[in-house]
Amino acid sequence: MLIAKLAFRNILRNRRRSLLTLLSMGGGFFLLCLTLSMSEGSYSNIINIFTQDHTGHVQIHHTNYLERPSLYKTINNLDSILAEVEANPQVIGVTPRIYGPSLAYGKNKTFPAQVIGIDTKREALTTRLKSKVKQGQYISSDISKEGYFEAMIGYSLANNLALTVGDELVLISQGIDGSIANDIFLVKGIVGDANSYEKMNVYLSLPAMQQFLSMGQGENSQAHELAITLAHQQLAQPFAQTLQKQLEVSELTVAPWQVVESSFYNSMQADKKGSYVSMGIIIFIVSIGVLNTILMGTLERTREFGVLKAIGTRPLSLFNLIILESLILAVISCLFGLLLSLPVCYWLATSGIPMPEPIDMGGIVFDTMLGEVSWYVVIVPSVVVIASTLLVSFIPAIRAAQISPLKALQAT
Amino acid sequence: MNNIAQNNTQKRDVLVNSTTVIETKMLCRHFGQGDTLVNALTDANLTINKGEFTTIIGPSGSGKSTLLQLIGGLDTPTSGEVLLDNKHISQMTGTELSDFRRDHIGFIFQAYNLIPVLSAKENIEYIMLLQGISAQERAKRVSAIMHDVGLEGLENRRPAQLSGGQQQRVAVARAMVSEPSIILADEPTANLDSKTGIELLDMMKTLNEEQKMTFVFSTHDPKIMERAKRIIRLEDGCIVDDECFS
Ligand SMILES: Nc1ncnc2c1ncn2[C@@H]1O[C@H](COP(=O)(O)OP(=O)(O)OP(=O)(O)O)[C@@H](O)[C@H]1O
Ligand SMILES: [Mg+2]
Repeated sequence: MLIAKLAFRNILRNRRRSLLTLLSMGGGFFLLCLTLSMSEGSYSNIINIFTQDHTGHVQIHHTNYLERPSLYKTINNLDSILAEVEANPQVIGVTPRIYGPSLAYGKNKTFPAQVIGIDTKREALTTRLKSKVKQGQYISSDISKEGYFEAMIGYSLANNLALTVGDELVLISQGIDGSIANDIFLVKGIVGDANSYEKMNVYLSLPAMQQFLSMGQGENSQAHELAITLAHQQLAQPFAQTLQKQLEVSELTVAPWQVVESSFYNSMQADKKGSYVSMGIIIFIVSIGVLNTILMGTLERTREFGVLKAIGTRPLSLFNLIILESLILAVISCLFGLLLSLPVCYWLATSGIPMPEPIDMGGIVFDTMLGEVSWYVVIVPSVVVIASTLLVSFIPAIRAAQISPLKALQAT
Repeated sequence: MNNIAQNNTQKRDVLVNSTTVIETKMLCRHFGQGDTLVNALTDANLTINKGEFTTIIGPSGSGKSTLLQLIGGLDTPTSGEVLLDNKHISQMTGTELSDFRRDHIGFIFQAYNLIPVLSAKENIEYIMLLQGISAQERAKRVSAIMHDVGLEGLENRRPAQLSGGQQQRVAVARAMVSEPSIILADEPTANLDSKTGIELLDMMKTLNEEQKMTFVFSTHDPKIMERAKRIIRLEDGCIVDDECFS
């Protein structure tokens, strides 16, 4: 109590210096908070756009499917697994997919294409595929009057095959029973652009795909992949872990997007390290300023520390006094920095900064830098400011504690 | 100063039947080495009893401050011993020494040295707070001592708002209030004008007589010396005279 009283009074004593310390520490907090908000926000934004494009936050496959995809590595009991996943409140959408590499033929040309069977309704609720239809319409599982299923093709494939909406597309592949699969489909829509993930893809409805590849239908439906989107991308890893345990099916593997798209994830992690460097520089500059003011403040009071010691103050109490003074300043600075940062971060999170030139990452376009408001963005600067202040106060505190009262009393 | 020695009425050894507060044995303090060696204090043997009002006099550089600092545990002797309340303080360090100073020694400095951020009352309370004395007891003692040193009504002033004499009174109150075994004052009146200095000393003397508080102080001022009941004279670090007056 006594030490706390002294600490408070000492802070109030040299108001200008305390204010300067407060400003520099608060400013440091502000800069850290903003840097974090921008980097976290940008990464969140990239992750959101990326995962919502087609990956989803979590995927389920037959074990080893990701390493070595095969027509035969299927997820069975599709309906019960879908129901089980959907029962989870964190899940926004879950959609099954069947993959069948094929040859696509149209207007005298043949190209290899990735044919993907999708549950049209679920896919629309889970990823942004539907919104990427540029010409024609999003497919349904309807059959045309000629008896053809609908297909949706990627922009580049359409160009290569010289196909437009309403044309016929022939696909040749291998059925799951070993037979040759071939069929005619009606081009219902063209999706994406020359850069997007879908550019060489063909989308069929699930029933169309199942029939095409002679796979089980209805109750016997199978899929190669289940893509799940969650309420927030940060839930991906914990959710994947819980779901893996919950499913109790040994031949299935639940993986978060970090595993599914590991190369994207790793390059993003590497990129993040770059922002640590700039934060380190901010911390360093702020710490030097704080060290300076604290050192000055204690040097000036050398004589006073001598008196306090001479009349019986323990060394540890003097140590605590210096640390407490800094701690109080640091906490107030954090509050001050928070007051300054929150509105700015909030604005960054809602409006964001438009980028002078949109960045195209694998067909996904980023045109705004978004900030983020989260506990992380607030707590990390607080911890950093308080910890670095304490660290920096250690030197003057030890000095004050070890000072010889006699020498200190003789100081001017 | 010699006339004081002649006025000497009672030799030190004659005093009997009192409890010893301080005892120094062959106390030496040297600074530096070789050519720069200074014998600030040499073989000082001294006994101070409870209730004494002692002054240490001597020319500048004779070792007055050094002696007081050694007795107060602020400095460590080169050789010899200091016993305060029969405890060897020269062997104490760190927290132990801090606590010993807190409980047994009151300091009054030439430059007042009050804590600037604390009010008069809080300065006086400070040591009692370190000692963990109850709020009730603290309040009682503070008001009593404020009365004794004649500072009633100035409790809430900060040192900067007090005159030098008033500040030194607060310092006396701060030194006394925790009821230490001894109060050490190195030239307590040197920063005051002589009238204020004499007033302060008279006040200390009254407190010494009423409360049997033991005082040891150093001074240059002959008017102050006159008020002492015992004068110890230092020259070149040696005790050359020690006389008592009744
Ligand atoms: N830290 C030190 N280093 C070296 N010499 C010192 C130190 N402190 C004191 N001395 C020397 O010791 C001697 C005694 O000093 P001290 O301060 O005790 O004298 P004093 O009697 O108090 O003098 P004054 O009346 O001027 O206060 C002096 O010669 C002084 O120069
Ligand atoms: Mg001196």
